[in-house]
Amino acid sequence: MVFFGGKKKKRKGLYLSDKPPLTIPGIIGLIMSYTVLFAWVIAIVWPLFQMVVAAFNGRQQQNIMGNANFEFSLRHFEFLYNETYYMLWVRNTLFIAISTALLTLIMVSFTGYAYSRYRFKGRKASLMAIMLIQTIPTFAGITAFFTMHSIVSSIIPAFSRQMMLILIYAGPAIASNTFILKGYIDSVSTELDDAAKIDGCSNFDIYRLIIMPIARPMLTIIALWSFIGPFMDYLLAKVLLTSPSTYTLAVGLFTLISDFRTMNQPAFAAGGLLTAIPIVILFIVLQKQLVSGLTSGSVKG
Amino acid sequence: MATYSLYLKDKIGNKYERKNNYVLELVKLDKKISEETDMKKKSLLHSEKKNLIANRNKHPHNIKLKEFHNQEKTFLKSLKNSEAEFEKSLSDSLNSKVKQLKTRMYHHQQRMTFYREYVELTYEADFKFKESKINVEQIPEIIRFIECIESELIEAKEQKIKLDPKKDAKLKSELKLFKEEAKKKRNEEIHKVKDRKKEGVISSKAEKNSIRELKREYKNQVKLESYKIPSKENKDFIRSKKRELSNVIKREEKILKADIADARRKIPIEIAKKKPKVAYLTPLLPGLGQMLNGQRRKAMFFFLASFFVYFIAIPYALGYGNYQGEGIAGLITLAEGGARVHKSLIFMIEGVVAIFLLLIGIGLLYASFRDVLLTEKNMISGIRPPNWFETKRMLFQEGFPYISSLPAMLVIVFIVLVPVITTSLLSFTNMNPQNQSKFAWVGIENYKLIALGEGLAGSVFWLIFVWTIIWTLVATTLAILLGFFLALLVNKDRIKGKKFFRTIFILPWAVPAFITIMFFSIMVAPGGVITELLNSVFNGRIEIKNDIIMTRAALILIQGWLGSAYVFLLTTGVLQAIPGDLYEAADIDGASSFEKMRRITVPLVLFQIAPLLVTQYTFNFNNFSVIFLFNSGGPFDPQRYGNLAGSSDLLISYIYKLAFVHQYQAIAAAITVFISLGVMFFAFLGFRRSKGFREGRL
Repeated sequence: MVFFGGKKKKRKGLYLSDKPPLTIPGIIGLIMSYTVLFAWVIAIVWPLFQMVVAAFNGRQQQNIMGNANFEFSLRHFEFLYNETYYMLWVRNTLFIAISTALLTLIMVSFTGYAYSRYRFKGRKASLMAIMLIQTIPTFAGITAFFTMHSIVSSIIPAFSRQMMLILIYAGPAIASNTFILKGYIDSVSTELDDAAKIDGCSNFDIYRLIIMPIARPMLTIIALWSFIGPFMDYLLAKVLLTSPSTYTLAVGLFTLISDFRTMNQPAFAAGGLLTAIPIVILFIVLQKQLVSGLTSGSVKG
Repeated sequence: MATYSLYLKDKIGNKYERKNNYVLELVKLDKKISEETDMKKKSLLHSEKKNLIANRNKHPHNIKLKEFHNQEKTFLKSLKNSEAEFEKSLSDSLNSKVKQLKTRMYHHQQRMTFYREYVELTYEADFKFKESKINVEQIPEIIRFIECIESELIEAKEQKIKLDPKKDAKLKSELKLFKEEAKKKRNEEIHKVKDRKKEGVISSKAEKNSIRELKREYKNQVKLESYKIPSKENKDFIRSKKRELSNVIKREEKILKADIADARRKIPIEIAKKKPKVAYLTPLLPGLGQMLNGQRRKAMFFFLASFFVYFIAIPYALGYGNYQGEGIAGLITLAEGGARVHKSLIFMIEGVVAIFLLLIGIGLLYASFRDVLLTEKNMISGIRPPNWFETKRMLFQEGFPYISSLPAMLVIVFIVLVPVITTSLLSFTNMNPQNQSKFAWVGIENYKLIALGEGLAGSVFWLIFVWTIIWTLVATTLAILLGFFLALLVNKDRIKGKKFFRTIFILPWAVPAFITIMFFSIMVAPGGVITELLNSVFNGRIEIKNDIIMTRAALILIQGWLGSAYVFLLTTGVLQAIPGDLYEAADIDGASSFEKMRRITVPLVLFQIAPLLVTQYTFNFNNFSVIFLFNSGGPFDPQRYGNLAGSSDLLISYIYKLAFVHQYQAIAAAITVFISLGVMFFAFLGFRRSKGFREGRL
């Protein structure tokens, strides 16, 4: 159906806005707001801009110098591609990140639903336990992780360090995201569930047909977070992964600025840029979902 | 001594008379005994009861019952034969499913006639009679359904052969024409809508929706038109009928089973038992009890539990099937005196795993025991044990939360709890550079060292601790305030370009933090962009990374830059969800914008994001990346910090250095335990303070 509205006509001299007209303090406040906002825009964009410049500047040598002249060149990217394991690092990181996100998503969607909608024996106790567990920092077991992996891999040789890493990332993510998702589903009234139940939906049907679509914004956030976790993490990957070809991006790129033998800061800038661009695009595309999904419910009273 | 009850009860609580006359007499006698006051008569009654029990095999009812059981046996045997014969007599042209149903029908017809005679004798026969009756009533219906759909299918297939390809081709070309025309029409309509948008008559949202609607309409039209082609129609018809067939069978079977389950609930069971025995006799072998209660499929699953307990958990705890260790015993010996390759740490981990496996095993035993006991008690009072259909249904209804969260729980136990417990145990040992492979228990020695600030590793603990606290408070609060403030600004009514600001402001969050941290690290290095900038402004030689104060300030600023984006995002989300009518109501009541902020915005936002803010504090307490990647915990100051730590090290990076660079794992574990407890305590407090928790919404 096409909606026919009245024709818009601009009438000068008639104040039509539903907001009160701006007063002078209001104008000053507005100008100040814009000043602050643009200052922060600069504070954010400037460092990132510097990185882009460094990545494309052919004049930069091993160390990035602030006073170097600019000359456009792609040689740092070529170096990255030819002389380092960059492509492997990308593949490793993607593998770990995607697996972690999927694993977390599947498990959390079930636990969040179960804890939000069901009253079962041991619910409160286990919820408390999960809440306490999620406050334990992930690194707490780090000395054991390495040895645990050698035990498991002696039984299942195919169990690689990267898989161990995936589990290590997913475990605590499950614990903490259960809480977040539970809170989110709590905010959705049970009317829809009840209606579905009356229509003969099983628990799994309700999960699949009602809860998952409603919780999608929150699930997107959870997925993004658990996807981004492995990208951000340095500590666990550094401890668990030992050979350069199995490194993740964080560990791999750090070797470009920390180790004198492999030092090449502009190549790091190039690699960082290449890594950041897809992720930033992902974030900006999903921005709407991310923001609106944080709090809104589905059934409004 | 337990006695029989006078009535039987079903699941809903309805009472039923007993059919077993022998038991009934016993019950009545018991009642008389308890009511009788005269001692003489009482003893008489007692002897009568004894007599009754002694002669129970000669009791007419019991004799009849025995006869019934014998008859039943022979009947079932003969039924098997006649059933096979009946199946053979059916014509081969029949659908296999129909054949099967017809055989089943025959089976239940026979059963019905047999059990009808014994309905008054025992509830067992009563139930079996009803069960067969339901089958007999419903199976013809199912067969009719199937046959009806099948005949339609056959007809459709016959038509398929008869189809005229010429007509088909002609209609197809007609469809093409129709398609083109409809497309033209659609495009015209879309143009009209777009024009209207240009004129400003409709909003862009309305434009989008109506275009979508037009496209959908076009699709539907084409689809509808395409069904005029006989071959297409025929194909779709056959497909849908086939689907219907399988669905109908499934659905009808389900109805049948549900009806039987209903009968099970309404017809009591009568067994000669006064108190549960099976449950107390079989607690050690899950599955056996279920088997004895007549729940065969359920028993299979519980036998799996038995398998787990006796072939996995217990052997593992005793040291069989371990990688190196000795099960639980390894926790005590810690590989002392073992072979050279044996490592204490492995023994410890395997001990912890063994404990968890045992705990799971005990849980399974208990669950099985409870299940058998409940079923048995129910059976004694007259409730039939649920059959597989009912069990399955119950499992997917009441058991759903358990089943669905089981994998998550397993991951949490083995990936989070096992290593964490190992670490806390490790803190009571002396694993240090001298004792890497084999170490021993030393009690609370490590904690003493930390608390008193003694020893090589413990002496700098408090220094680092204080900086960690300052860092956590300042950096996080800065990020929260920044993010909150910016979100308020951006979401003001009058600010234009919200989308632009939002996009820019989440960049610090969107760009992977390690990249920005490392690049900041490059920029403040000697010769870096920021250093050069500062040098030109202050006309000096500034070396941020070599100055403790400046390094710390830089770290806090960087974290504020990084963390604000997340808080900004959270706050923006909440702000957008606050219903506008709250503000309108406040406007009408004459609230100023400051009051609106104080009474509406801030409380609502805080209410929603308080728990998440708490996690921000704990996150920064353990923020390894920013410290380590920025300056590796430096600058180093050996006079105050010794050789093991740098001056901007947090406890977490100190732990990393202790455990993985200098190999003081035990003391690192002690610090880990210390800070984990602290973090957990504060996180817990934060959660309890948050309103969601207090209002009991947990």
